[in-house]
Amino acid sequence: MKLRDDVVDKNMRILVVDDFSTMRRIVRNLLVDLGFSSTLIQEADDGNTALSLLHSRPFDLVITDWNMPAMSGIELLRSIREGEKTRSLPVLMVTAENNRAQIIAAAEAGVNGFVVKPFSTATLEDKISRIFERLALSESGA
Amino acid sequence: MNGEFHLAIDEGLPQQLRDLLDSADGPAFEQALDAMVQQRERRLFRLLGRLARDLHDALRRLGAELSNDDVAHVAADARQHLQDVLEISAQAAHRSLDFAERMRPDADALVEHANAVLERAVAGDPAVALARRALEFGLATRAALADMVLAQSWQDLSGQRIRKVGAFIASVESPLLELVRLTGRLAGEETPGRAAQMSSQADVDRLLAEFGS
Repeated sequence: MKLRDDVVDKNMRILVVDDFSTMRRIVRNLLVDLGFSSTLIQEADDGNTALSLLHSRPFDLVITDWNMPAMSGIELLRSIREGEKTRSLPVLMVTAENNRAQIIAAAEAGVNGFVVKPFSTATLEDKISRIFERLALSESGA
Repeated sequence: MNGEFHLAIDEGLPQQLRDLLDSADGPAFEQALDAMVQQRERRLFRLLGRLARDLHDALRRLGAELSNDDVAHVAADARQHLQDVLEISAQAAHRSLDFAERMRPDADALVEHANAVLERAVAGDPAVALARRALEFGLATRAALADMVLAQSWQDLSGQRIRKVGAFIASVESPLLELVRLTGRLAGEETPGRAAQMSSQADVDRLLAEFGS
């Protein structure tokens, strides 16, 4: 599914969370390839740092790895859903394992999308498109 | 002794014992019974002694092998080696990403310029063929650079597994050290590996003698 300009704002503020700097950089590159503004992409190397950033400035999308030290992706997701300001923030979960239990846990915690590493630009585009298409549908339905 | 019990004993015991049970010589019966019990005990102690000897030998070998490099340092070195691999692989992946990010604007510019030439070119212009080739090359390069960026995911995927191995080493490090200390104590020395090597056959034999071997 391609990104639709009327649904996905290419100037959205995106937070990329991963403990591996290479992966953060890869995701950043993919996002830039998709037309997102590099200057609006922020990075965090674990859940705690991500939460601090989320509380200090507004974001439109969080792309987070699952497996991180200190605070994992699922813990970050739960914290986001508990936060008054962050509870409706779209979260795309990234994981190295195609694990059914993880997918269920993430769904129960309120994840918006789930992508398994390694993934292509087209896959990332599809996941982001689906997230914002669904959000647009639910907003128009409301 | 009732008849039912007498029958059960007769069927389950050796002929020698059955003969003694049937005889009226009480002291001879007790003497034979003691001899049989002692015989069984000796066999049990021999087995126990062999087991103790094998266990001691295994622990001594383990202690000697681990002591050669000092298990604490070996485990720490192993974890450090894994950390080195993580850092070196991350550096290599970042170098590839540097290259891709440096070349990407050039590829974009080539595509843009080639398109501009093609838009302005008139029929029969010899620059058209070159611009088309440049456009194809620019697009192919852009795609290849994107693939190269994606390919660096290996560092993250392998790195996560390396971290798991590091965590496993850290988890077995402490029990392993305790095992080496145990081998040292069994050999009667405080220093783990060295003590195991210093243990003598006499110590072993003395220990085994306590078991009747």
